[in-house]
Amino acid sequence: MTRLCISLILSACLALAMGGFGASVSAAPITVPHAQGETVLPGVPTKVMVTDWAAFDNLEALGVPVSGVPASATPPYLAGRIGADAQRIGSLQEPDMEAIAAAEPDLVIVASRSRTALPTLSQIAPTLDMSVDNADLVGGVKASLQTYGRVFGREARAGELVAALDERIAQARAAMAGKGTGLVLVVNGGRLGVYGPGSRVAWIYDALGVPSVLGDVSDRDHGGDAVSFEYLLERNPDWLFVVDRDAGIGNEGTARQVLDNELIHGTKFWAKNQIVFLDPAAAYVTMHGYSGLMLMLDQIIARARDAS
Amino acid sequence: MWLAGALLVTLALAIVSLFVGVGTVTPDRLWSDAEGGQALQLLLVSRIPRTLAILLAGASLAIAGLVMQTIVRNRFVEPSTAGTTESASLGFLAVTLLAPGWPVMAKMGVAALFAFAGTALFLRILRFVPLRDAMLVPLVGLMLGGVIGAVTSFLAYRFGLLPSLLAWTMGDFSGVLRGRYELLWLGLVAALLAYGMADRFTVAGMGRDVATSLGLSYESVVTLGLALVSTIAAVTLVSVGAIPFLGLVLPNLVSLLVGDNMRVTVPWVAVLGALFVLVCDILGRVLRYPYEIPIGTMVGLVGSAVFLVLILRGRHA
Repeated sequence: MTRLCISLILSACLALAMGGFGASVSAAPITVPHAQGETVLPGVPTKVMVTDWAAFDNLEALGVPVSGVPASATPPYLAGRIGADAQRIGSLQEPDMEAIAAAEPDLVIVASRSRTALPTLSQIAPTLDMSVDNADLVGGVKASLQTYGRVFGREARAGELVAALDERIAQARAAMAGKGTGLVLVVNGGRLGVYGPGSRVAWIYDALGVPSVLGDVSDRDHGGDAVSFEYLLERNPDWLFVVDRDAGIGNEGTARQVLDNELIHGTKFWAKNQIVFLDPAAAYVTMHGYSGLMLMLDQIIARARDAS
Repeated sequence: MWLAGALLVTLALAIVSLFVGVGTVTPDRLWSDAEGGQALQLLLVSRIPRTLAILLAGASLAIAGLVMQTIVRNRFVEPSTAGTTESASLGFLAVTLLAPGWPVMAKMGVAALFAFAGTALFLRILRFVPLRDAMLVPLVGLMLGGVIGAVTSFLAYRFGLLPSLLAWTMGDFSGVLRGRYELLWLGLVAALLAYGMADRFTVAGMGRDVATSLGLSYESVVTLGLALVSTIAAVTLVSVGAIPFLGLVLPNLVSLLVGDNMRVTVPWVAVLGALFVLVCDILGRVLRYPYEIPIGTMVGLVGSAVFLVLILRGRHA
């Protein structure tokens, strides 16, 4: 009898303590610095909407449920991971403000393509700009994971992901070491462009230490700088990393067909079969997402090991 | 005489064009076996096709402009100011969406059909324009082109093809290689047919009544003219993209130089059209070496400047 009483009282105390503890966590305001200033969240957000696929990629990797995602250009590698009840909230460039307002989210996340929507969205719900600077893409992805980890109380998981990313990058670096020069090429509507430092795939040069065959290239337009097939033959890299933009936005990719021609057959990368067709959605649409980055690193590691 | 001179300059520049590019192609390297005859391969696979594509596209687009101007009797009409180019883009987009696996020839055929329909619509609308004011006609064409272009952009946007659409429609010779430009020869055939029909176009340009009283089947001549223009517009769009202003600037320049008899002007327009595109493309390849400035940008830049000069000159005259 007394035993029962004691255990009842104990469990009641425990329940109270747990409840009190939980409430105090979700009630504590969280200040989050981001690309466009600082946003104070009243507590851990439960209803989160993203206007950017990288944000979805990172939150999904952390195990945070997302209740609103963009309607356009769904990356195939993420398609199966989107909750069945997730709302579609406008295009990557133009979030559907009305749908977002009607859904009353606790948190909205914008990034590079949708960042101009922040002032408007901030009036609807707390909004973070999680844009990543391509100059240090890997560092930016890690910082994003850590920020999300802090906001959603998943620091431990974020730490695991960061460590896994670091390890995968070290593997890719090692795999590519001494394997020659590289060039990142974008194929868009049958035309070629080269991506240089500061572009969305510059991490292949910077983080993996692949020596680039180009000295100076500006990334003013999204397609990179226009080049001819002759350019590829003349610069003749050992590796070609291809971003197939058409395929990236959900259409039939043309890159293989475009590159299969007499001039390209004379290059080193063609002769050694060292063309890496990067996952088009990860390379062109998501860019700053953990899973996408891991996917591309896996592709590079696999090809580099084959080439040994 | 002068024409022969222009032809010589064009040929000389065409030879220059063969030796401009990222790869090393110099006359002495062609005959040596340096790097396994790579220079000769570059010349055959890349340089000669590119130069031919430039000449073919330049000549046929300029003639397409001339034919349209003659038929419509308006100096400011050309495929890109009459909805023809936009219609061809819409057709190409439609076939890309609905039947991506079709061969290029079939896609081009669909683009040409759309171009034809769009241009016919333009002529039909013109009938309802009471005042055939010189400025009103191209304005109608630009508006029609705007509407068709908007439909195209909307579809491209809906299906996530907007960047690809921009890439196709921006004229650019950098992708030209042996095996990837030969459709342009069809444009030359169309241009030659236009030359053969020059007299009939001139008469048709005088209007339905005059043409009919002179024993000409007005409808069939106009239809054939439109078919030629649509073919040229579609072939160049599919092969190298749109090159704006060309069909507008060249016939006007030639008209200032040698008058308006189409028998005389066709060769001039063809040669100067080819020369103009050649100069622009060589500049585009050299200015930001080793990267390229697309021909659409170069012609747009130079062409609009020339056009401005033409208009200002017209004011003073």
